[in-house]
Amino acid sequence: MKPNHESASQRYTLNCRMNQEAAALERLCRVVRVRGFRISRMAMESTGDTLDIALTLEGSRPVAMLQSQLEKLHSVAGVELVSDTMARSRSA
Amino acid sequence: MNGSQHILAAFHRHNISTVFGYPGGCIMPLYDALVDDVGMEHVLCRHEQACALAADGYARASGQLGVCIATSGPGATNLITGVANAYMDSIPLLVITGQVPSGLIGTDAFQETDILGMTLGIVKHSYLVDDPEDLPGILEEAIDLAQAGRPGPVWIDIPKDILLSEIEAPAPARTEAPPADCPEIGPALAMLKSARRPLLYSGGGVSLAGAEDRFRTFAEVSGLPGVVTLKGIGNAGRNNPNDLGMLGMHGSRAANKAVDECDLLFVIGARLDDRATGKLDGFAPNARMIHIDADAAEINKLRPADLSLRGDLNAILAALTDAIAAEPLAIDAWQKQCRTWHTTGGFRAADNEEPLAPITGPAFIRQLSGITGDDTVIACDVGQHQMWVAQYYQFAHPRHHLTSGGLGTMGFGLPAAIGAQFSDRTRTVINVTGDGSFMMNAQELATIRRYNLPLKLIILDNQCLGMVRQQQELFYNNRESQIDLDDNPDFVAMARAFDIPALHIERTDQIRRGIETILAYNGPMLLHVAISREENVWPIVKAGASNKEMIDEPRKTNSRKEQVA
Repeated sequence: MKPNHESASQRYTLNCRMNQEAAALERLCRVVRVRGFRISRMAMESTGDTLDIALTLEGSRPVAMLQSQLEKLHSVAGVELVSDTMARSRSA
Repeated sequence: MNGSQHILAAFHRHNISTVFGYPGGCIMPLYDALVDDVGMEHVLCRHEQACALAADGYARASGQLGVCIATSGPGATNLITGVANAYMDSIPLLVITGQVPSGLIGTDAFQETDILGMTLGIVKHSYLVDDPEDLPGILEEAIDLAQAGRPGPVWIDIPKDILLSEIEAPAPARTEAPPADCPEIGPALAMLKSARRPLLYSGGGVSLAGAEDRFRTFAEVSGLPGVVTLKGIGNAGRNNPNDLGMLGMHGSRAANKAVDECDLLFVIGARLDDRATGKLDGFAPNARMIHIDADAAEINKLRPADLSLRGDLNAILAALTDAIAAEPLAIDAWQKQCRTWHTTGGFRAADNEEPLAPITGPAFIRQLSGITGDDTVIACDVGQHQMWVAQYYQFAHPRHHLTSGGLGTMGFGLPAAIGAQFSDRTRTVINVTGDGSFMMNAQELATIRRYNLPLKLIILDNQCLGMVRQQQELFYNNRESQIDLDDNPDFVAMARAFDIPALHIERTDQIRRGIETILAYNGPMLLHVAISREENVWPIVKAGASNKEMIDEPRKTNSRKEQVA
């Protein structure tokens, strides 16, 4: 069931810091997919025990819902919403 | 100590004395260590899925951590349904699997599966141990994590060489979590006081937080009428006059009516599951909502809350109770209205006065509820019998009702009952199941016999997949498809083949004697109850429809039940 407070598709940039653990990136990507978002760009840098990931996402569900689901991951140290804009049409 | 001995030492440190498992190649070092550990009770189930479900049932009934163990490959994959079941219902579970030796990972070795990758979506967290010295810390963290906040399954996959490695790292010291802060309750209190028709909506989060007593005190002091989710059944106890029972797809007309009419929905430890809310657009349309939960991700997930409180339910409920005791709510008219709805629109299963008539599910469950004691644990499977238990059994406590709420796992009931029985050997534990569900883990009759568990098994046998048949009848133009089970085995003979005595009944006048016979028997016993193939669960809301579109039982000339509109 989709939440009843979906809006038009928007683009978001999230910065996410994770602990360097087995399957850390897989966990992140899985949650993004399951919670209804599409990754359009992703950059990752490993620094010691942490991973810094910059994600550009598109989706029509509230990004706060995704943010709170990502923050639940044990290996996530922090999630920051950097920007949100209306997504361009995919056919454009 | 080697890795395996570290695992057992961690169990002892955390007072884990019962584990459910099945041995195999890569987990053999742990089973070798078990030989020398006389203080650890290992329960050998007959299928790894049953190990996970038994550990789940143990955790649900006891409030303690459940532990299951399996080997790599098929042992690990067989656990998956049980672990998913625990994940969906937020049950604290520790899962230990052997993995192929470190050097063979990624080579498609015998019984190698990427179980970490396969299970990412059904665990609270998981680990693949790649350094023996990390194992003690991982064990400590995993055991705490599974039980902290919103509980859930935590999986540790351990290569065989690490189970055998001598480990020098000491076990980390345990750190007590600081007591949870209580958020400011003033705004919630103000909303409660200004509401004219406030309604409690409670779920499984109440017992998961160990807040059953606080919840009851709050419900009693506030006098709030309340509805419960499937997992919240028992929150209010057996005889709370303000408890309207279960809402939702198979909820009572009274409960759904109260939700529809309330002006404030006070949600405690519930996640607004679609089976409870129906179509969200039509759910509690006139109400503001306060949402209290331990999990921030549940707040605003499906319906925006007007106010949310996140934190320890015990602390929040205690503060609210104190405040309301000092200044009671003025909701007499609303209470009276809800009690009237409960009287006219609650579940009623009238006794069948015809002794030779066939047994109906509701009448059987109502008699079972009347005969069994307050302390009885009922472990259900999934299907029509599960809903009849939810509707007609009066539970004294939510931990007495073991039901697969989120995943809806057929085959849950029997192993869950085994787990519950291991959590307390003296308690009466009954598995109420259907003929479809029973066959999904029937091999566990051997586990009951092996440990001589005094479990009682009740099969409500309608010779078909009744819930599917019902939906095909109502929503698929009565086009029955693959639901016939009329070639079921002789369940009485089957039980006896496992050296478990069994009894068959089929008439209304046999119900009481059948129930009393199995309860009085000193050991495991099965009661096979033949019921009508055509019986449906009423009322019902079509999936995706609003709860207002509830369908009642068509009137019968000699109706066996009353579901009063």
